[in-house]
Amino acid sequence: MRATPARARRWLTAAGAVLALTAVAACGGGGGGGSDSGSGSADKADLTWQFWIGGTEDQAAWQKVADQAHTDHPGITVKLQGADWNNYWSKIGTLLASGKAPCIIGMQSLRLASYANAMLPLDDLMQKYGLKTEDFDKPIMDGLKSDGKQIAIPYDSGPMVIFYNKDLFKAAGVPDPKPGWTMDEFKAAAKKLTTGGRTGLVTTPGDLGVASWVRTMTGAEPLADGKLNLTDSKFTDGFKGWADFVRTDKIAPQVPSGSTDFETTQFVSGKSAMQLNGPWSLIDTLGKVKFNLGIAPIPAGPDGSKTFTAGSGFGISRSCKTPDAAFQAIMSMTSEKPLTTLAAAGRAYPARIAAHPAWFTAAKIPEAKEVIDYASENSVPLVTSKNWVQVNDLLTRFGTQVLNGEVPPEQALKTIQDQAGAGS
Amino acid sequence: MTATDTTEAPPGVPPDRARRAGRPPALRRDGRYASVFLAPSLGGLALFTLFPTAMALGISLFDWPVFGERKFLGIENYTQLLSDPVFRRVVLNTTLFVVLYVPLNVVVSLGLATWLGPKIKGRQAFRVLFFIPVMTPMVANVMVWRLLFQPGGLLDSGLQSWFGINAPNFLGSSDWAMPAIVAMSIWQGFGYNFLVFSAALDQVPQSQLESAQIDGAGPFQRFRYVTWPMITPSLFFATTMTLITSFQVFAQPFILTQGGPGVSTQTIVMYVYNQGWQFLSMGLASAAGWVLFVIIMGITAIQFVGQRKWVNYDV
Repeated sequence: MRATPARARRWLTAAGAVLALTAVAACGGGGGGGSDSGSGSADKADLTWQFWIGGTEDQAAWQKVADQAHTDHPGITVKLQGADWNNYWSKIGTLLASGKAPCIIGMQSLRLASYANAMLPLDDLMQKYGLKTEDFDKPIMDGLKSDGKQIAIPYDSGPMVIFYNKDLFKAAGVPDPKPGWTMDEFKAAAKKLTTGGRTGLVTTPGDLGVASWVRTMTGAEPLADGKLNLTDSKFTDGFKGWADFVRTDKIAPQVPSGSTDFETTQFVSGKSAMQLNGPWSLIDTLGKVKFNLGIAPIPAGPDGSKTFTAGSGFGISRSCKTPDAAFQAIMSMTSEKPLTTLAAAGRAYPARIAAHPAWFTAAKIPEAKEVIDYASENSVPLVTSKNWVQVNDLLTRFGTQVLNGEVPPEQALKTIQDQAGAGS
Repeated sequence: MTATDTTEAPPGVPPDRARRAGRPPALRRDGRYASVFLAPSLGGLALFTLFPTAMALGISLFDWPVFGERKFLGIENYTQLLSDPVFRRVVLNTTLFVVLYVPLNVVVSLGLATWLGPKIKGRQAFRVLFFIPVMTPMVANVMVWRLLFQPGGLLDSGLQSWFGINAPNFLGSSDWAMPAIVAMSIWQGFGYNFLVFSAALDQVPQSQLESAQIDGAGPFQRFRYVTWPMITPSLFFATTMTLITSFQVFAQPFILTQGGPGVSTQTIVMYVYNQGWQFLSMGLASAAGWVLFVIIMGITAIQFVGQRKWVNYDV
């Protein structure tokens, strides 16, 4: 039987995938031969920087950040390389495993624990070059630590906050939420807004969102002493409270599985009046919506409004031959000037305190500063475990079943805890 | 072997080589050309298929994280897989997909191919139309189907405005997600088998069908006793290929539901992808890959044994 083109293509795809797997396996042990890990001295080096890049516009914006290193240190050049968000993580995994990773690596706080082993702790370099941690938001500085060591220097940060549709609030006669609003006030507002095919809230399962809701309702955190804590009764209660938004309160719609943009499209199209989101999406959302956008802190549970912060930064791979030059480049890339430029262009909420005003000016929402300052004060970093990617995957899968009322919350949490324990 | 145009073996050449050398020169030349032309493919097969397959078998015996220490485990990855309720469910899902998808695909493609007989006007246009989903990128197909399926989507809002009822949450319900994926896959994939069957049906001689008709055979009998035996080789080809590829289903559930809700639509290839590239656990991923390999080899072998009973090559 001859191979038809379609068949050949399928085989080729499969073979390619297997080969890629093998390639990783084959070079996994080495650690040597870092051809692309930079060369030169502390002040003179050609460095490569791997980062997630959304498109050509993104590439241009981030290349400007890279160029700051060359402006500050004429001997250092930083070349940007990357992939889109999803592919970035499998790419960076293979690069780090092969020991041929570029010097500078983009790292997100929630994924840090999985990759920390292949990254260089920065504490000595921070001291040597005098990087002041107090110039940065504390929660995200802590969020980019692993086992107490600083793994990356942040460029953005952000506590989870509520985005809301001011026009729908007005039409329903619900007053704008203020910092300190309670869970009861939130639910009453959401109930009033759930009418005419619209819902007051939209929520989908995901680590940051679920953990933030649980934390504000009962104070429980997903990890205790570095171990998964999902079957703890406080966590279960909080998780139940979150699931009830859809299950029993019916203030949020049922969710489809695997649709990562359902929450955003539902909110942006005006079908739901509120969603939990991070400041990193605020200006982007502002550009998409056709209504007046407001932001509010997460409602307060019995112990006040409590939320989680996440953010991203730049670290150095262990295979980098010129860590000093790489660190100086990172210092330039996270300095006031590039972060202010990024903030003014409406990108992520900057991690450097001095760059905040530029972002608030770009956001054009009067209450933004008050709300984000309040949320920051009430937030802690979501510190994750080594197998967090799996935990988040399980949370998303079973969380969908819980929200839609297919599986009881306690049972889902037990399954996640069992599975993640086995797979870590 | 030296090139020679004689059909006689030169003295001193062993009998075996002599026999081969004794073949007609044209055939011998063909053989040499064939091996030259086959070499790139065989090289590719060895490099891209055989070597990685063997390598994966090796890796599957280790605790092989992408970073950090590797540890020899023996068959522990396999025992872990077989005792894991999630993996068992994943195997069940894959089987369920195959059991639903393969017969439906064959029925739809064969049915449409039979219906689009030579007497139908514009059959070429239909053929092109049916083949379009096979060629368009899967991601684009899935995006469109998601707009159909999701709450407030085309199906849901259509049912609401016409009948005032809500459609099921196709992608959010464990009962509906797999049928939704199968429906989408059939729409996407039937065009390929449709073309294979169309070609086979066109080969059935009209004269035989006509003589059967003169002998009093109705349309069903003509199909059963004349057409069917003649297209069995194509049916065998189509079912074997469809079975193999449907055991490897990945893109549809990966993009449409990401394997959820729960693990109700997660398939074996998705499991391999997640373990390897998301959770960075290569040993477990390789073991799961080998489980899939053995399943596919086994089923294909059974098909080849079974074909003797029903495939008819003597037409």
